[in-house]
Amino acid sequence: MNEVISAQCISKSYGNIKAIDCLSFSVQRGDFFGFLGPNGAGKTTTIRLLTGILKPDDGEILINNHSVRNKKEVAKVIGVLSESRGFYDWMTGEEYLRFFAALYGIENKEQTVESILDEIGLSDRRRSAIGTYSRGMKQRLGFGRSIINNPEILFLDEPTLGLDPQGQEDIQNLLTKLNKKGVTIFYSSHLLHEVSHLCSVIAIINHGKLVASGTIEALQEQTKSTDLRDVFLTLTHAKND
Amino acid sequence: MLKMIKHIWLKDIKAEIYTWKSLVWLLVTSIIFSITSYLLLTNKELSLLDQTEMLWLFAKIIIGTILLIIIIDASALISNEFENETMENLFLTPLTTADFVLGKLLTSITIWGISYLISIPYMIVTSSGSGLTYAFMGYVAFFGTLAVLGFTMLIFALSFPYKSMKNTLTTSFVVLLALTIPALFSTTLKNNALAKIFGQINPIDNIFSSLDNVLVDYKTSIGQNLTYIIPVLVFCILMLFALLVSVRIFSRRGILKD
Repeated sequence: MNEVISAQCISKSYGNIKAIDCLSFSVQRGDFFGFLGPNGAGKTTTIRLLTGILKPDDGEILINNHSVRNKKEVAKVIGVLSESRGFYDWMTGEEYLRFFAALYGIENKEQTVESILDEIGLSDRRRSAIGTYSRGMKQRLGFGRSIINNPEILFLDEPTLGLDPQGQEDIQNLLTKLNKKGVTIFYSSHLLHEVSHLCSVIAIINHGKLVASGTIEALQEQTKSTDLRDVFLTLTHAKND
Repeated sequence: MLKMIKHIWLKDIKAEIYTWKSLVWLLVTSIIFSITSYLLLTNKELSLLDQTEMLWLFAKIIIGTILLIIIIDASALISNEFENETMENLFLTPLTTADFVLGKLLTSITIWGISYLISIPYMIVTSSGSGLTYAFMGYVAFFGTLAVLGFTMLIFALSFPYKSMKNTLTTSFVVLLALTIPALFSTTLKNNALAKIFGQINPIDNIFSSLDNVLVDYKTSIGQNLTYIIPVLVFCILMLFALLVSVRIFSRRGILKD
């Protein structure tokens, strides 16, 4: 096991508001890492800092042993389904994936796009304009984009948001498959049952600070709780109090 | 780097076509040029104009129209990526800010190139028999390219901090008007010291004066127009500097608004 994500006392402020306050944690290769926190806790900001979209005010971030500032190296190994859910509505799903495959410099573009469209279940709508897609279909397409470069580390910010139960299950199965292949998954979600079902290790943040981290069993033992919901509420409320 | 620029450029050109945006503008350009040249050649009072004066007027209309269209179009090129929340996903790939800006700049230049191609037949028809066809076409191409480059760089420099098409477009329009209106003042109005100084540094005024020099006074060599060309080049260099500063701040802060 080795660290693929390492955050060392990272901080980020928006004006006078401290969104992230000396947050430190690490994720091991192959982990399915759940990242939890109440609304406004700093989950999305953390993902943006870890993926280089935002620059931290302080602290150091290493992705696969490269500083996050080394954009070219980092972009090659990460895939991100971000909170920004913007699409080029005039493009077809196929064109959209082909465009991102081109930006990543993928050589066998057509074959890659073909297999991803199959995996995300959009093959039959490949030639429809994205503007005509439902929210769930756009979410699948965004997920397809995030895995187009065959990433070693996948960051997901609420990946099943807007998906119907079948869509949620499809994405979860796909994530489990990717994780079994060795892809490290950094999974931010509000859906605790999803996290407890998928993740091997979790971290909980509140007010930009790390509240707890470890395996679900260890946290249950620590808080003397029987399920993840109780663990979450106990830890975040204790902090609020 | 070139490949990345090409991908951004191709995407934007496709967007211009698929969304009908630039096709509409190019149609508008053709209509404006058709009506203007038709009036210049057939209207009894306008046709009394000396042909060289007519060419000067038409050159100003071509550059003015195309600048207007480029400003509207370029204001959306970067701002829309922010407004439609597509910026973050672009910058999660190995794309650099330089690739991104150069791809967008190339799109703007392409739209100018196509608009210029549309204006060629009109320039040939109106300048027929004057012996100034090549000078007319050459100087419109030269000054048009510089003006489009300068204004596009200004627009991009504004797009990064504003992150809004409406604000970028409004500010660019104000700058265009502030530079164009004094350039259209009569000689009497330009006679005081302040107006003279502003006229000497105003790129639009210098473009119009140089076209006057070429088309009305037959001073067609570069050397004879250098005093007008230099301020336009200085404007472009200043806009490049503004763009570099804007891009640097953007890269340092991270791509999202703090």
